[in-house]
Amino acid sequence: MGFLSRSVSIMRYGIRGKIEGSFWDVVDDGIMKNAFREIDTSGEEVGLGWVSIDDFTDNQFKGTSYLRGNYVALALRVDTVKVPPRILEVNLKKESKKLLEESRTQRLSSSQRRELKDRLKEKLKSQVFPSIQVFDLIWDTTKGVAYFGSHSIKARERVEYQFKKTFELTLIPLIPYLRAEELLSEKSDRLILEKLKPSSMVP
Amino acid sequence: MDFIDILREKAFLGREFLTWLWFKSNQSGGRVEIPGKKVLEVFFLDRMTLDLSDTESLQMVTLKGGQSELREGLAALKEGKKIEEVRISIRATENDFTMVLKGTWFSFGSFRTPPILPADGSDVDDGGEGSFLEKAYLLEEGLENIDALFEYFVKLRISEEWENIELPALRKWIENSLT
Repeated sequence: MGFLSRSVSIMRYGIRGKIEGSFWDVVDDGIMKNAFREIDTSGEEVGLGWVSIDDFTDNQFKGTSYLRGNYVALALRVDTVKVPPRILEVNLKKESKKLLEESRTQRLSSSQRRELKDRLKEKLKSQVFPSIQVFDLIWDTTKGVAYFGSHSIKARERVEYQFKKTFELTLIPLIPYLRAEELLSEKSDRLILEKLKPSSMVP
Repeated sequence: MDFIDILREKAFLGREFLTWLWFKSNQSGGRVEIPGKKVLEVFFLDRMTLDLSDTESLQMVTLKGGQSELREGLAALKEGKKIEEVRISIRATENDFTMVLKGTWFSFGSFRTPPILPADGSDVDDGGEGSFLEKAYLLEEGLENIDALFEYFVKLRISEEWENIELPALRKWIENSLT
């Protein structure tokens, strides 16, 4: 599973910012406050938060189980519910017909239609099984680097948001230019790097 | 410059790195010597995507198959395309790593490390921490190899040697490989 699999996907992040106060107290407090919870609001997301990297049903982290050597090992669990479009359409047609009969009008306004659609989505949500996604995150606290187990833009946006919310630290994707900046220790070298333009490799 | 600007304007750096790495590996039968550091064996495997990174228009070519198919990538290089994504193998001492490396994001797909040792009884006692740390160590070793190659490239790229020696040699390699 995840990072322990033979084949993994990795997005490498640098970590920007500084933790105020006792490092491990802030980390522990942040994880516990942002552990996986069910969400009871409108929208497709019905649960979000950190779980154990070994067990996506464990959001307790007993005995600071997220701690592995110098690493903080977590998984971000995202539960979503999506009502199948055709099921929604069937119900929308049925309910629209009923509304038109009741109000004795020819058609619903676009806002009435949108309202009805949102209401039906929420009503039908309870009849659909959620989809559960789990993405591993390993934070090397010594190097200030984190490895995330997905390249998906949506998953990355979620983990970047959740990390910020949890630790008040920013995850920055270590794209080549930013990694190059880190690898060059001399300021003069970094200035040359900044001014680089693409080279034509055409013979 | 904010992140989005860097991503857009400096994407060429990752693509030039991968293109240069192909040249370097091809020239020396896969043996890439990082001066003063180490020797790595770098092989380009069975998948490569090239595109015109420095223009607005998206013109991509994806190659799959063996070395002869990948050689078609040289024709794409001649058209001005650069490598955006490639499956490579990197071997240092006994450890072999394979991955799909993406130029723009510097992300790693299907990253395979050497296998971790089967857990003995002690791993149960430490809640799997031993296996985890071994895997993390191997992942970091693989990434350090990539970083060592990238650092070698970046230092060359900002030096005068790039324009005077490396780039002309790279262009010549493309030209000669196609004749």
